[in-house]
Amino acid sequence: MTKLFRALAVCAFVAVTASGCASGPEYKDVASSIPTMKDAQGRVYFYRSGSMFGAALQPEIKLNDQVVGKSQPGGFFFVDELAGQYVVSTSTETEKSVTFHLDAGETKYVKTSVGLGLLVGRIVPTLESPDDAAKHLDGLHFTGAPVTAASK
Amino acid sequence: MFRSHVLAAALAAALAAALALSACAPSIPVQSAQLLPLTSTQPRMRLTQNVVLKLSTGYSRRLASGSLWRPVGQVPQGLVLQPVGTVLTIEGRQVHEAYLVVSQNAVVGFYLPGESRFSPLAPSQPIKIEGIND
Repeated sequence: MTKLFRALAVCAFVAVTASGCASGPEYKDVASSIPTMKDAQGRVYFYRSGSMFGAALQPEIKLNDQVVGKSQPGGFFFVDELAGQYVVSTSTETEKSVTFHLDAGETKYVKTSVGLGLLVGRIVPTLESPDDAAKHLDGLHFTGAPVTAASK
Repeated sequence: MFRSHVLAAALAAALAAALALSACAPSIPVQSAQLLPLTSTQPRMRLTQNVVLKLSTGYSRRLASGSLWRPVGQVPQGLVLQPVGTVLTIEGRQVHEAYLVVSQNAVVGFYLPGESRFSPLAPSQPIKIEGIND
């Protein structure tokens, strides 16, 4: 009976973890085909490490209250927006937001990570430097809309 | 009897731990601020000493010696310096992108470009900063 329970637990864990990870192409495979920004626009990258801690938490990410994607372990995506003031938030138990200004031609990087909440974990967005983001993006998978060279 | 006391103490400890974990950081203090952009490009500035800024929210931020800052404007509280090649944020209940506001060789607060607000730093923190010629 104990063996059966253990086997079921392992299966459940594998199923949860396998379904929790981002599965698109890696950053290094799509980096060259990511389109250039239009004039007057800036770019915001969103990414999350591949850590399985809190992998079941995959809330929507909102930019100025508009859903732009999901926080998925090991995933990244980007959006191009007009220069201006922005708020990034996620829809978990408690809301932690980050505010920033985006200039035309500028690229900002927002990392989402798992934080502790009262009853369940929560996803916390933070603003990262380009150098820190570059270290993490390489191994991550693209979870946005497909990009092609034709869209440049 | 003894068991029930131990159980009650354990429950109280668990409750206290849960409350401590859930305790929210306070919001950062803010004031409205109007940034007057500089009309000409000013030389960048370099910090010549590490500085640790302790925020009223309990968080702290370390500014590294050698970090570069670009003057971008003026608020009534002082000169506004944007970090070069990196980002600075301050944190309380929420996270805010921040530029330094300096006056008389001290950090007196932060300009929040995503909100057009000023957040004072109390007490102000002396810094050593020098202009550089690019």
